[in-house]
Amino acid sequence: MDRKEILIELKKVLAPYTESKEMLDGINEDTDLIKDLKINSANLVDIIIDAEAQYNIEIDFDAAEKMYNVGNCIDVIADKINKPA
Amino acid sequence: MISAGNDIVALNLVDKERTNLPAFYSKFITPDELSLHQDLTISFENFVWLLWSVKESAYKYLKRGDEHLVFSPSKLIVQKLLVSPESDTNLLDMDKLIDAYYNGVVSTGISTIEFKSAINNLFIATIINEGDVYWGVKTIDSGDYHDQSNSVRLFALAKLNGIIVTDDLWIDKHPSGYPFILNGAHPLDIPISFAHHGCYVSYAFQLPK
Repeated sequence: MDRKEILIELKKVLAPYTESKEMLDGINEDTDLIKDLKINSANLVDIIIDAEAQYNIEIDFDAAEKMYNVGNCIDVIADKINKPA
Repeated sequence: MISAGNDIVALNLVDKERTNLPAFYSKFITPDELSLHQDLTISFENFVWLLWSVKESAYKYLKRGDEHLVFSPSKLIVQKLLVSPESDTNLLDMDKLIDAYYNGVVSTGISTIEFKSAINNLFIATIINEGDVYWGVKTIDSGDYHDQSNSVRLFALAKLNGIIVTDDLWIDKHPSGYPFILNGAHPLDIPISFAHHGCYVSYAFQLPK
């Protein structure tokens, strides 16, 4: 799965947590989850749990802390997907 | 450091079933922190969200002094969590009754800071309780982001205008994301923090000594 494919799936993960649907349609790797998508910080753990289910991966403490913008989310997901079990 | 940090969690918006899953709470609560629950009567899901609100408040408090700080909830460790006596709670300006107050200490890895939390069946609200802190919680009609943002500013300004004699107070947003108070064109040395979730908004600000 390349970064573009991860981004398409990531939009589905983020959709339930943002009111900014227009912004979600136009997200790029610099989009900040809280500042730009207006996602409440209380939903950040939900997003991590949903991403784990969406990509069948496990995201640990250290990785989760990097997931504050879309590019970082893709970095973490790509790293976990490509890591051999 | 003079700063301000707060958070609020609307309990109708959290997934209680998910909150009770180790896969959820273990993302930001350490085993040592979990052991704090055994001495309290608070429900486990409220305990989880109380710790979240403490960590979020501490992050906001620290962020003002370090613009590049990243929210790392598992590195902000709640070391002490106690039920507060009710007489200790006169700083809160709010429109709902509170069932219980808690206070405690959170470690930042470098130092420790004190916090205070208020809980009822609607929300969990927390402030970093360092210095002369003013704290307000209010119910609003809409959970829309812009309504939340406007309402919490008006709420805080109403309180500030009762303390500071001027008719030119307003609140702007720093590029780093935190709000700051101005009197006309002059930024004031009164750090302020905002929080909103659903139909609840909250402010906390600290007056200089």
